[in-house]
Order: sequence, then C-alpha cells, then structure tokens
Amino acid sequence: MLLMSGVSKTYRNGSVALKNIDLHIKPGEFVFIVGPSGAGKSTFIKMLFKEVLPTTGKIYVDGVDVLALTDKEVPFLRRQLGIIFQDYRLLPDRTVYDNVAFAMQVIEAPAVKTRRRVMTVLELVGLKNRANAYPAELSGGEQQRIAIARAIVNDPIMVIADEPTGNLDPETSKDIMRIFTGINESGTTIVMATHDKEIVDAMGKRVIAIENGVIVRDDAKGVYGYESEH
Amino acid sequence: MSLSTKEYFVRETFKSIKRNQLMSLASVSTVALSLLVLGIFMVMVFNTNHVAKFLETQVQISVYMSDSASAETLKATEKTLKELPGVTSVKNITKDEALERFKDRLGSQSNLLDFMGDENPFPYSFEVHVDKPERISELAPKIDDLAGVETAKFGQEVVENIFKLTKIMRLGGILLVLLLAMATLFIIVNTIRITVFARRREVTIMKYVGATDWFIRWPFLLEGMFLGFTGALVATIIINQVYGAILNSVHATLAFFPLLPTWPLLLYIDITLIVIGTAIGAAGSSISLRKFLKV
Repeated sequence: MLLMSGVSKTYRNGSVALKNIDLHIKPGEFVFIVGPSGAGKSTFIKMLFKEVLPTTGKIYVDGVDVLALTDKEVPFLRRQLGIIFQDYRLLPDRTVYDNVAFAMQVIEAPAVKTRRRVMTVLELVGLKNRANAYPAELSGGEQQRIAIARAIVNDPIMVIADEPTGNLDPETSKDIMRIFTGINESGTTIVMATHDKEIVDAMGKRVIAIENGVIVRDDAKGVYGYESEH
Repeated sequence: MSLSTKEYFVRETFKSIKRNQLMSLASVSTVALSLLVLGIFMVMVFNTNHVAKFLETQVQISVYMSDSASAETLKATEKTLKELPGVTSVKNITKDEALERFKDRLGSQSNLLDFMGDENPFPYSFEVHVDKPERISELAPKIDDLAGVETAKFGQEVVENIFKLTKIMRLGGILLVLLLAMATLFIIVNTIRITVFARRREVTIMKYVGATDWFIRWPFLLEGMFLGFTGALVATIIINQVYGAILNSVHATLAFFPLLPTWPLLLYIDITLIVIGTAIGAAGSSISLRKFLKV
C-alpha cells in the first residue's frame, strides 16, 4: 500500500525534517505515527499526498511512484486518499450534507450516485439526522465526523489523518476512534499521526515513532511510549 | 464535463459575484466605460472613412461659372472642357437644375428654401468627369484659368485631409483604448484576486479531495468572463441607442450628410466590443489565477 525508501527531507531554510526513512505499510493496516512535536510527523503525512516533496528517496502509494506523477496526475492520486486534519477544514457556509457532497462534486461524480453515497457515509458516522445542519451548529466531535465522512465518501484506499482527535475530549476521541476502526475493518488502510497516548495504548495497533526525522521504533502492537501531553 | 458539473460552475460563479457585489459592479462599469470609448472611436473612424470614400468616388471637377458669363461664354467653355485630355463627359447644370437638386437633397425640409422667394443663388455649372482621378489635380488649375469660370473644385484635397484625420483618429483611438484596456484588466485582476482570497479555504479543500486544476479554475474564469461580457453588453446598448438617436437627428437636420446606417455598422461594433470585453475578462482572471491561485 505504502512504500518509502531512503526518504529524506531538508527544507529550504536548512532544517532537516526526515532522514533516510524506509517503510512499508501493507493494505488494510492501521498505523499510528507518533513522536514529539517537530519530529517530522507532519512532513511525513504531507508527503503521502504530495503536498511536500522529499529531497531524496522514493515513495510508492498502491504501486504508483508518487514522485513521478505530473501536476496533472496528483489530483487522481488524492482521489484515492482520504485526508483528515486536526482542525476539520469544513466549509462554514455549507450544510453537513453539502460539505460531504462537495468531495464528490469536485471529482464530477454523477448527482444520483452522490446523493446515495453521501447519505450512506453520513449514516456511517452517525450524522444522518444532522444532514441539513451547518458545521457551527455542531460540536467538535460532530464536525470531525463530517470531515471523516468527507474523507471516505470517495471510497479511498487509504485514510491519512493528522491529529484527528487533537481538539477533542477523551470521550469524543474514543467515538471518533470507533469510526476509524470501522473504516479499517472494511479494508481501508489508515495512517494516523497522533499525540494521544490513551488512544494509541488502547488500540494495540502498529506504532511507528519518529524522532528528529528518524524512525526510532516500529512495533506491530505498539504503545505510545511518551509522557501524555493531554 | 457533466451537466451537474456545469450547473455547479454556474452556481458558484453567480454566488461569487453576489458575494462580491461592489467589486463586480466596479469591474462591469470599468469594462463598460472603456468599451464605450472604443465603440465611439469605431463609429467615428468608420464614418469618416465612409465620407472619405464617398468623396473619392466623385471623380469629377465641378466648374462653377460666374453669374456674369454670357450664353456664348458658356457654350465656348463647354467646348473647351470637352477637348481637354482625359475628359470623358461634361454635363451642364443650369441654375434651375442646381436649385432642384438641392431641394431633392433636403427632401421634406425643402420648404426651408421658401424664404428665398424667386432668388436662385446657385451658379451655372459643369460637371466634368475624367478617366483617372490622378488627372484631376492637373486639370483643375487649367480649368480655373478659363474665362468666365468662377472656380473649379474637386474632392481630392478634402479626401486627403479626411484620410489624414482618420489616421490620426485611429492612432489616438488605439492608444486610448490600450490604456483603458490596461485599466480594465487591472480591475478585473483585482476583483478575481478578492474572489480567490474569499474562497481560499474552499480551494484548499478542493485540492485535498482531488479536484483537478481546471475544475478549480473554471468558476473564477467564468466570473471574469461574465463581468467582461456584462460590461461590453452595457457599452453596446448605450452605443446602439445613442447612434440611433444621432442618425435620426442628423437625418432631420442635415439630410444629405453621408452617415453610415445602423446596419451592419452596429453589428460589427457590437460583436467587436463583446468579444473584446469577454476576452479581457478571461485574461484578467487568468492573470489573477496564475498569480494568486497556486493550484
């Protein structure tokens, strides 16, 4: 699903974000990326959908050489990925339904298919009854669920989440993680950067720890391994 | 491109124009004003060209005789004129005929001449046609010197002057229009920049969910084109109305002045303005998108 070999990133200002990363993630895996702030987690995440280019190395997503993609091809890579952020990134002037449908409109999906699929994923994240509400009327947890619905509406092969529970309380975070578990169980690969010790420890999934741009730990059933920041 | 996508683009375009009313209005007004100036210049250049061409085809010298010339002098002059090299025909126009002609030109206004009573101020004249326009300037002074001839007039000088004038007008018009086009472009670039800025969040999300660059660009491009088109439309409406009114009043007072009729002149001008307006709109958006929308 994801293969990285010899990936390094040095930013133009000289700061080194990642050093010689070798990594293989198999289809259907659930992987946590952990590490202190500034360790290179965000850079790692952004490379997966070609927002950041590595200075050296190779990245393959589902067998496709990401670095060889032209600018025109990048959108088609992103259509296979579901991307989720800590701050939800919803459109405040659109309803829950429209926020999710938006992801299908922009890839020019047929209207009928869009309607059916959006209602399905809204049901999946438990927001079917709130379809006509606006994001501001909803709690943080509900907003993140909209973002998850939007990320999976196009049936991605891999969901990439950058601190998805960073703004949520522990109870809500657990709800969110249940949704992610459900998505993973349906066969979708999940790569999640997080600072949430409780979640990582409770899930017992593969944990990759990055420190100073280097992978220092990669355990099949890992733990968070740092002091909780919550 | 599917129907729902087209609908989406159109909806987004109008939503954006509505959200950005003041700048949209400013853009439309600037485009309208610039194209109005261009349209006026086009009307003027086409018409002066028309007048010049009309005069140029008059390959003739009008020989006006003095009122004191006797019948014999007139006969002798006619004979002399006919023998001049290059002259193809000589036509007599009596004083009465000249008056009649003028009345015809005035048409329904001919009662204007009633004040003259039985007076006829028009001189006896000959219309001398020549085989080539080049001969005219050489023949005219010779004819002017003949006995009994008051004056020999020909259109060439007027034509040359008019052509010179059109040239200047055309050049000045192009310069002015270029300046105005720059101003228009600038304001459209700014309008679209504001739109892009207002929607940067949407654009970011679109990129994350895999919208193609063109999908992101289309609504902005359409917005610019729509603003340009609307401005052009306003300009054409004004020009059509005003030119129609001018023609009417010219026909009423200066019946014989050779102005071009509205058809097909206004059609050419309308098409030109609308094409230019829309193109400026598209160009403005493109510049703005390249500069402010990193997709």
